[in-house]
Amino acid sequence: MKKITLLVTLLFIILSNIVVAQTYKTRDANIFFNPNKDQSHKDYASVSKEGTAVLKVETNEVALLVPMKTFHFNNALLEEHFNENYLHTNKFPNATFKGKLIGFNKDQLAKDGTYTMSSEGQVSLHGVTQNFKAPVKLVVKGKSATFTCNFKIRADQYAIDIPALVKPKLSDETPIDANIVFQLN
Amino acid sequence: MKKRIIFLMLVCSFFVRANAQDDLLGDLVKEDASKVKQNITTATFKSSRIINFTSVEMTGKGNLQFMISHRFGQMWKEGKGWSNVAQLFGLNSGFANTYMSFDYSFTDWLNLGLATTGNAQFESWAKFKILKQQTGQKNVPISLAFYSLMHADASEGPSPDDLTWNRFSYLNQLLIARKFSESFSLQLIPSMVHYNYVPYGINNTNNIFNIAIGGRMKLTSKTAITFEYSRQLNGYKNLLDESASAVNYVPDVVSLGYDWDTGGHIFQFFLSSASSATNIGQLSANQNDLKVGNFSLGFNLNRSYGIKKLVQVH
Repeated sequence: MKKITLLVTLLFIILSNIVVAQTYKTRDANIFFNPNKDQSHKDYASVSKEGTAVLKVETNEVALLVPMKTFHFNNALLEEHFNENYLHTNKFPNATFKGKLIGFNKDQLAKDGTYTMSSEGQVSLHGVTQNFKAPVKLVVKGKSATFTCNFKIRADQYAIDIPALVKPKLSDETPIDANIVFQLN
Repeated sequence: MKKRIIFLMLVCSFFVRANAQDDLLGDLVKEDASKVKQNITTATFKSSRIINFTSVEMTGKGNLQFMISHRFGQMWKEGKGWSNVAQLFGLNSGFANTYMSFDYSFTDWLNLGLATTGNAQFESWAKFKILKQQTGQKNVPISLAFYSLMHADASEGPSPDDLTWNRFSYLNQLLIARKFSESFSLQLIPSMVHYNYVPYGINNTNNIFNIAIGGRMKLTSKTAITFEYSRQLNGYKNLLDESASAVNYVPDVVSLGYDWDTGGHIFQFFLSSASSATNIGQLSANQNDLKVGNFSLGFNLNRSYGIKKLVQVH
């Protein structure tokens, strides 16, 4: 009888883990930003393709971590400035987001289509944590789920100092595009 | 017994619920922290020059850099008195050496450059990055680069019939640098200048060896103080120049500079005891004694352009 108890318990643990801990993970989340005032001007634009993201289906929880040094620029000097002068990436190596998807449910993943929802949570960047809310678009197609989020942040919110000389060239709010693709299985 | 099973199930489900509430981000951070990362040191120096000499830094891959540099007249000429002031301490003395160069990095370890200066002098160089200072799985305590330059004298010269080969001289340098902290870097530069042609004189030689040390101390994220000292190890006694008068070269060159990074350009203002604009001239044919008045003002200004689009931006 004890053995049966143990077996049943074990089975229960395994099953409940499978059901509850349904998570998707990706290691190549794309984050793109262009701080230029004139958005057609892409000299300062940068992209990281090495973000890690997790989505926990049952709880709608999401988390994203982007190592700052994976942001690359076409101009090597800009990359140096980004790391050394603006984001101090030796001191603050990661940008993170932690939060929930409001309006997401797991049935959406089962059916092809485009869904809109919003994400709410906290963004940590340059040692500063701020509340965050932005609309999110989800496109489900076959075995892939693509979450897109376009949002804007202000440099001063995250204590990023922009020198007066550079300021006129940059827009007050930096648009950021996050593009996260989960492979469903 | 059944009660016991139900109880266990409850406990388990509680355990699972607790597990489900675990921090997603915490897991990502843990995973990221557990990765062994290779930390490659960047920005040992602000620019591809410390002051006069090249630094271990290279123009970024796919970037074209333009540099213009000026060296003005000596600050204070003895016996000239107030006219030194009128000449704004050499800035306005009617004498300046200009050095203009373009360089491009094809890969992150190869940089090629072309330069022109002074009286029809041309230079071209190749710079190879051999080691990058880094920590992590592999530890490399220094950055190492090899700089090889060819200098051609295309000026009319005393005798146009001179053999073409006599117009060439060469410079080979090892650049050994270490960034000790965020703000302090040092570089050691052993170098060899080779002349195809040497004038008569005591101690004359085709090969002139030098050892130089350069450093940088950051003041703020955009400004820094730099210094250089180089010592010639041979070949600086009583050379005879073209007019057969003896020339005593000075073996030491001292320079002090101030770096200012404006965001797009890098300005380097300096005082140097060498007034030649070329490394070969500074290392092998400097005639200025180490006296305050002999120092001359100068600046380097450079700007790089991302020519090759390495990052696809939409």
